[in-house]
Amino acid sequence: MRLPFTRRAAAGSTAPGVHPQPFWSFRPRSDREAGDAVVSNLMLHWFPSKVYKPSLAWNYSAWLGTISGALFFLLVLSGLPLMFLYVPSVERAYQSVKDIEYVVTFGWWIRAVHRIGAHLMVIAVVLHLARVFFTGAYKNGVGQGQRREWNWVIGVVMLLLTLFLSFTGYLLPWDQLAFWAVTVGTNIASAVPGVGPAIRALLIGGRAIEQATLIRFYVLHIIVLPGALGALFAYHMWRIRKDGGLAKADAAALAAELRDTGPVPTKTYTLLGVARGTSPAVTARSPEAPDLTVNAVPDLTRRALIVVLGTFALVSILASAIPSPLEEPANALITPNPAKAPWYFLWLQEIVTDTTVRLGSFTINGAFLGGVILPGLLVTLLTVWPWLDRSSAAAAGLWFPKSRRRQNLVFMLLMLFILAFTFIGMFMRGPYWNFYWPWQTWPGIPGRI
Amino acid sequence: MEKRTNSPFPNIDRPVLAAIGVVLVGATAFFAWSDRQHDYKYYQYTFRNMVAEKLGADRAETVPSGLQQVWVPGLRRADRCVTCHQAVSWKGFETAEQPYRTHPAEPLKAHPPERFGCSACHGGQGWAIDTEAAHGEVAHWEEPLLGSPLGEAYSLVDNKAALMQMNCNICHRYERETRGADMINLAKGLVQAKGCRACHVINNRGGTIGPDLTWVGDKAPEQYDYSRLSGQTTAFAWHVAHMKDPRALVQDSVMPNFHLSTKESQAIAMLVLSWRKAPFDAAFLPGVPRSDPQTPAEKQAEEEMKTGPGAWFVQTGCFVCHSIAALKVRSPAQIGPDLSTAVEDTQKRFGVTVDQFLKNPTGTMSVVLSRQIVLTPEQKDVAIQKLREAFAEYQRLVAEGKNPLAAAAEGGQK
Repeated sequence: MRLPFTRRAAAGSTAPGVHPQPFWSFRPRSDREAGDAVVSNLMLHWFPSKVYKPSLAWNYSAWLGTISGALFFLLVLSGLPLMFLYVPSVERAYQSVKDIEYVVTFGWWIRAVHRIGAHLMVIAVVLHLARVFFTGAYKNGVGQGQRREWNWVIGVVMLLLTLFLSFTGYLLPWDQLAFWAVTVGTNIASAVPGVGPAIRALLIGGRAIEQATLIRFYVLHIIVLPGALGALFAYHMWRIRKDGGLAKADAAALAAELRDTGPVPTKTYTLLGVARGTSPAVTARSPEAPDLTVNAVPDLTRRALIVVLGTFALVSILASAIPSPLEEPANALITPNPAKAPWYFLWLQEIVTDTTVRLGSFTINGAFLGGVILPGLLVTLLTVWPWLDRSSAAAAGLWFPKSRRRQNLVFMLLMLFILAFTFIGMFMRGPYWNFYWPWQTWPGIPGRI
Repeated sequence: MEKRTNSPFPNIDRPVLAAIGVVLVGATAFFAWSDRQHDYKYYQYTFRNMVAEKLGADRAETVPSGLQQVWVPGLRRADRCVTCHQAVSWKGFETAEQPYRTHPAEPLKAHPPERFGCSACHGGQGWAIDTEAAHGEVAHWEEPLLGSPLGEAYSLVDNKAALMQMNCNICHRYERETRGADMINLAKGLVQAKGCRACHVINNRGGTIGPDLTWVGDKAPEQYDYSRLSGQTTAFAWHVAHMKDPRALVQDSVMPNFHLSTKESQAIAMLVLSWRKAPFDAAFLPGVPRSDPQTPAEKQAEEEMKTGPGAWFVQTGCFVCHSIAALKVRSPAQIGPDLSTAVEDTQKRFGVTVDQFLKNPTGTMSVVLSRQIVLTPEQKDVAIQKLREAFAEYQRLVAEGKNPLAAAAEGGQK
């Protein structure tokens, strides 16, 4: 494939060090073109030329990281048109969202893609973290210079950034849901002893959720946080390369018998046919045997494409089927009943409720325990876990290995606990935050007329 | 060029990728199709045919197509109602079915749509372009279309389309009477006749025994207690039921039951809900009063009560429920017995002297004297003294052959 306007350059320019073509070719005609193609191909920079076959297995990683990345890409993509349409002002934000919903061509769909994508991204990132934990993929294997534990730490930071991105986006429609979710969320932050109120003031730019909060959340949401997440994403990817791919590869390498490969005329130089049979014959003693590895292009890229496009299709269908809610305009004087935090923080709100004890007129507020100590402890524990995990390198890249059974069990219990509390907060807390079984109906929401 | 074909994947992955591609194309077609599904296309098509039939093909050509809106920057409203209701300003469709009906000309003379839009009067969600959402019959939209279907749902007495008068009164609240708003006018008359201001502040004037009602229309529906209300849980339904029998909804309310008819209760509920802050600037209200002053006659009557022999009872608040005819104090509500004869009356009713009764009140008065009108022992002594004076005056008038109680009752009926 050659773009028409690149032909002209191909003929003349032969000066050394000068790229004759601005685009690379799928069908190189010379070694030079093939080399250029390798150097300027993003996919070949991103992925190694060859990857371990087991790393690509659906049932190892479930490609959750790729799904998270695809969702992030989709969110950036759908966020762009929304930036042209949305007005970050207290007076006009709500109305501009109504217009996006009702009269902008495809506006409702773009907004729904952005909303559903954001919800799914929180889910995908958490599942990805769980997968990495259960397979011990933060553990170093046999390679030299591996620092997988640091990539885990970056991953934890990226999870927090994802949550914060979603949380800042929550406020932007400036409806009751947004306003009160952010009120609940920032009130939890203010439970930190001493500096709590200052943290809250810093978050919302004053003492009340107002224009200062909106513009703060907007700038965080569209520039600061996606920028930070994008940079960390790049670093996350780079570290995977430096760490020798997925931990599964180490496990496979350990399991495979090392053997002499015999002279391999092509080894890794045969990308897009750079070295056509005349490359140095290399003998190697490595597990990189042909039957254990596949070419990244197209075997990995094709699967990545399946995952990315599949994610896009799923989000698009969900966006067409599930209408995005927009509640009444934000009103600081009227608290919706019940006022709930965003769903991924509901387990915290539930814990705050359960640890708030009333003894007569004396109240012990659970916000500090449930809103600060517990999540702080969990995040700290997550961050330092690779250094606490003493299991052998052989446990890396395997689902539920025997040597990590106990910690996997603890992690699973914690996840189930969070899930259960999220479920209670979402479906079993009705008006006045009263408890209702799923089969009990909540009292109806009153209307004006 | 050398090929390496050791990959086991292509056999499975290629068709999977192809299937994903098909799904993606399908998904794209689906949302593109969904984006084009709107009720207004059918309505515009039908209206164009109606115009062609009635006024000729040439006129039909001029019927606009696509999204239409009335944008009123001053009211911050973009009303897209005219996308479907295209006939609004076309003459000759006065008897057609909605949404093809011409708007009655009379109200538009003072309220041209290009200055007032549609939803400011009719309610509904002007931003929306599909019937349900535009008529506000969706979750999270608290301003439904104030048309007859809603009036039917509330079983409005007589005029089912009267609910819209609520929105008239947002601007016209200070008028004593508004043309075309008969329910609101009825309610305003009742507010005067029943003396609501004795207990409530309305338009910045009135007593403080009950809550201030000046902006009660802005009270959120969540802030009402519906636990004793059956049927619809809306602020409107609450007010209708509350006007009929206040204590049925608020058990310890001291608000008297005025025994209003259903129509009167509905009218007052509409009036009360219309007392809202309106984001209209002065340019939208030419010729409409901007405050609610008392008439000279009202002022004089109030002044007489305040400075006359019964001034103490007026200042203390007793007059809210009790007339003291002998002292020329006339209660607006007249719920309690006339206090002119209280000295005798307490003996008859409760078997105690008025002194004893005031110190240890029973029944309604025990609630009133512990919450609404809290008197110190010294004030109670004053009260007893004043009641004796009133009784003496009463006896004097009776001796002269005049019955102040009968005169007061007559005056009340006028």
